[in-house]
Amino acid sequence: MTATATPGMTAAPTPFHRLLAVEARKLVDTRSGKALVLVLAGLVPAAVAARGAVSGPELQALVNAAGIGPGTLLPVLGILTVTGEWSHRTALTTFTLEPRRGRVLAAKFLPALAAAVAACVLAVLAAVPATAVTAAVQGVPAVWEVDPAALLGWAGVQVLMVAEGLGMGVLLLNAPAAIVICLASPMVWAVVGRLGSAGATLAEWFDLNTTTGPLMSGDLSGGGAARLAVSVLVWIAVPMAAGAVRVIRGEVR
Amino acid sequence: MIEFNRVGKSYGGVRALDDVSFTVGAGSITGFLGPNGAGKSTAMRVLAGLSRPSSGAATVLGRPYAELDRPGSQVGVLLDASAQHPGRTGREVLTLGAMMLGLPASRVDEVLDLVGLTGQEARRRVGGYSLGMRQRLGVGHALLGRPRVLVLDEPANGLDPQGIRWMRGLLRGLAEAGCAILLSSHLLHEVEQVADRIVMIGRGRVLAQGTLAELGRGRSLEQLFLDLTATTDRSPA
Repeated sequence: MTATATPGMTAAPTPFHRLLAVEARKLVDTRSGKALVLVLAGLVPAAVAARGAVSGPELQALVNAAGIGPGTLLPVLGILTVTGEWSHRTALTTFTLEPRRGRVLAAKFLPALAAAVAACVLAVLAAVPATAVTAAVQGVPAVWEVDPAALLGWAGVQVLMVAEGLGMGVLLLNAPAAIVICLASPMVWAVVGRLGSAGATLAEWFDLNTTTGPLMSGDLSGGGAARLAVSVLVWIAVPMAAGAVRVIRGEVR
Repeated sequence: MIEFNRVGKSYGGVRALDDVSFTVGAGSITGFLGPNGAGKSTAMRVLAGLSRPSSGAATVLGRPYAELDRPGSQVGVLLDASAQHPGRTGREVLTLGAMMLGLPASRVDEVLDLVGLTGQEARRRVGGYSLGMRQRLGVGHALLGRPRVLVLDEPANGLDPQGIRWMRGLLRGLAEAGCAILLSSHLLHEVEQVADRIVMIGRGRVLAQGTLAELGRGRSLEQLFLDLTATTDRSPA
């Protein structure tokens, strides 16, 4: 009890750390959540081992390979954490316990983004011993050189991809639609990029996969940063903001 | 403790609620009745801050729901027992609620006891629950924070006869302890036994409210319900 607490009144809104703990737990307390984590736990070592066998003991290549699984599945987890409340209508109870809906959304976004960072750390932790083992098995010297800018850029891209999932999830509030858009957009852009110079220009500015390329390789220039900013605005910032307004203002049924 | 003050709600041109006013006081169980589509669930969603009224205001403990501090510890709400993630266990659903309210894990066990779910049932996923078990779980979730106000939308739906008797005893006990309870139901015989006041709505308007004795004047609740709602059905909105 603090000195300012009014007798007979309960204190302030739900503390944010509690919302965070609840929403982080919801990521993994269902069958689908657990299955996703198990698949990831299997994919990362498998990808590292396969890449090592094929391309030899190069840490940079192995780190990138380790990130493929999380890079594909964590955006899906981000989508599900938001849309699950609507597909199962648990938003009814969630928003009755915490009517300040913006706080709930923030508490959903942060653990999903943190999971992307954690996956990057785990990918590196898996790639280091795998590089050593591959070197020993193949009897060739390991290549430990890693470009720090590329490594950071790669981690940044992983976080951006989860953010895209969250943005699409909260905008559409429909898991299948959001998943299809996130997973199919690289293919669609690959086609658009080949539609003459207009298509190439479009892809250059609006395709997240293209615009995150320089970030990934660690040589983001001024023009590259501008193109990245535009695509992030279109695919992440605007959907997130519009979706948040929709959730906060809308009816919960 | 619950007050609807001239609440109106329109969707497009359709008036779902029209000038709805009534109150539920401490220690009272108010039965909220009306045909399907009359506006009961809409009114309860407005009360719980999930839907904004087009006019008027609904308050709980003197404030709009969304402005309550830690509403879960003041108001217990069950709007739809089926609205659960099928992949979560019953215990997990209550654990999440308890975490949100800052309650110890022991409260989850107390609530499971209170609503008659065994440890084994609580470990099963909600997807495999019968409607009756979901209702028990939903009522348990509403009671987690020991609220003084309860808002329950059709909690007796799908309960077996033992479950209905249990629910009756539970609600009466809570009302005797001073809870204000708003309860919607289609089980008129059940409402007759448990409620001390009735609010009947049809097409979004309050058709009648008062104690059973005042309203019935010898008629059964069922006859009263059919008489009142038949009139609105024939009248042109």
